[in-house]
Amino acid sequence: MSIEIRGIGKRFGNFVALDDIQLDIPTGELVALLGPSGCGKTTLLRIIAGMETADSGQVLFSGAEATHLHARERKVGFVFQHYALFRHMSVFENVAFGLRVKPRKERPPEAEIRRRVMDLLKLVQLDWLAERYPSQLSGGQRQRIALARALAVEPEVLLLDEPFGALDTKVRKELRRWLRRLHDEMHISSVFVTHDQEEALEVADRVVVMNRGKIEQIGTPDEVYSNPATPFVYQFLGNVNVFHSRVHGAWAEIGRAGAEGGAVPEGSPAHGDAMAFVRPHDIDIERSPVAGGLESSVQDVHAIGPVVRVELAHGSELIEVELTRERATELALAKGQQVWLRPRQVKVFAAPTQPLEEGGSGI
Amino acid sequence: MQRRVLPGFGLSLGYTLVYLSLLILLPLSGLAFKASSLSFDQFWDIATGERALASYRVTFGASLAAAAINGVFGLVVAWMLVRYPFPGKRFVDALVDLPFALPTAVAGITLATLYAGNGWIGRHLEAFGWKVAYTPYGIVVALTFIGLPFVVRTLQPVIEDIEPEIEEAAASLGASRLQTFVRVLLPAIFPALLTGVTLAFSRAVGEYGSVIFIAGNMPLISEITPLLIISKLEQYDVVGATALAIVMLVLSFILLLAVNTLQWWAANRHKATSGEAR
Repeated sequence: MSIEIRGIGKRFGNFVALDDIQLDIPTGELVALLGPSGCGKTTLLRIIAGMETADSGQVLFSGAEATHLHARERKVGFVFQHYALFRHMSVFENVAFGLRVKPRKERPPEAEIRRRVMDLLKLVQLDWLAERYPSQLSGGQRQRIALARALAVEPEVLLLDEPFGALDTKVRKELRRWLRRLHDEMHISSVFVTHDQEEALEVADRVVVMNRGKIEQIGTPDEVYSNPATPFVYQFLGNVNVFHSRVHGAWAEIGRAGAEGGAVPEGSPAHGDAMAFVRPHDIDIERSPVAGGLESSVQDVHAIGPVVRVELAHGSELIEVELTRERATELALAKGQQVWLRPRQVKVFAAPTQPLEEGGSGI
Repeated sequence: MQRRVLPGFGLSLGYTLVYLSLLILLPLSGLAFKASSLSFDQFWDIATGERALASYRVTFGASLAAAAINGVFGLVVAWMLVRYPFPGKRFVDALVDLPFALPTAVAGITLATLYAGNGWIGRHLEAFGWKVAYTPYGIVVALTFIGLPFVVRTLQPVIEDIEPEIEEAAASLGASRLQTFVRVLLPAIFPALLTGVTLAFSRAVGEYGSVIFIAGNMPLISEITPLLIISKLEQYDVVGATALAIVMLVLSFILLLAVNTLQWWAANRHKATSGEAR
């Protein structure tokens, strides 16, 4: 089932949670709604599920009007961040719930319910826990049961609200790979909400980046990461250094020394203030002066797992650089040392009219 | 013996036992001691006298009815107070406690005035031929009044504990409102509901002040056991009064024990196979 969202708007008092959202989710796709907390992603998900009503706009399921359908008529499976399992029911009864509440003439016979529930429990690899109660399960197990429960009614759309948000890092990574595999097997249109960019980039077919009730960019994980449409997307997906920049024709210069910058995107003003974005791993450090390099001094060097993070000071600005371990060993950087840095890849945006949100390490 | 993490086990156990003995066990054994001056036949005669039997029926019957009414409507009030914002919510919330604070005699007189044949409410009920004041119905009204806060106050924290997400989950799985209530919400609040109803019931069994003003106190019809005990005392029949008191004590204890067992079962049945979790 495809989902179309047409001009959805929602306010809570004076706060605009969603502002004229347009979004198409084709059948069988796994879409991530990604954004900082308060960006409206969960509200949008709840409107799709029918748990919240939109102030304006329409929701269409397979082209049919669904804006005013009740949650129970939408054939939507919903998975909550905090599982929302029924505490007084065994795992088996939790999964069977959706089948047992069906109207008498649609309800499958007891043997059929048993078979379907056990199949689902096998699918989530927890059939050995059928007689346990939710309080006896770990967080990861509970979330898999919640997923099995949602799938029991054979929904045409699966909606997941920060499904791995309450789990620890290792379980989270396991579960998201598992979700991806499950989706590939079942081909059910799925939308999940997350504030974790890594999760969105790893799992989703398409990522919808949201900020302040608006969609900033829609694209494949690769598109949104390597070709961010707005400064917000650039900052939200990974760390970034922001340089104040001036545009001169087709080139922008960054830094005080008028060092070499990057190509200016089309449609930007020919002259004026701009911002240049450089990822920490897109900067080279040299020990001797290089043409177009920015002179700076080493403030700190941290080895963090496979990468070495170097903090540099250029004038009053702090710049973060990530090097491989080999490169760091080669350079043998020490605190206070003078170095020259050269950005390999720069993205220039016209200076924003409003301040950027948190996320990334802007300077 | 294993060392405990929490200190003071011995001290608090000793304190609890002494306190309960002084406050509950000692007076009750005094009662039993007093009654033991009767032979069993004498005791049985008093305990199963016609008036006594009728009064047990009225007392326990009306208390059960009142507790059941409170179970239903107290649940509605508690649900309302927790789940829905409405103007004057704090005021209504405070109102619930009023039966706790009001002297029971005041409550009895007020209710009797309202439900009497010429009272604001009684007038209209009597038009349908339904007499409330000075009948057993009046007793139920008074007992319902004093029992309400027990049910509401026991349920409120438990209802607050139920995440609204649980209801949303049930709805997204296709459950109707009724199915959600019966299959999801009621099992979650049932142990607390039972506690509240039990408290309201126990309170009602012992209630005296508010009942005597509205009951009419007709022997065999609307006379409650506590009143019978008082009237025996007024005739200096202390031993007879203690015999009735013992009967009430035993009946109440059996009922409470039964309800507590039921409640323990309801609260623990979904933790049955605990241990080696996760």
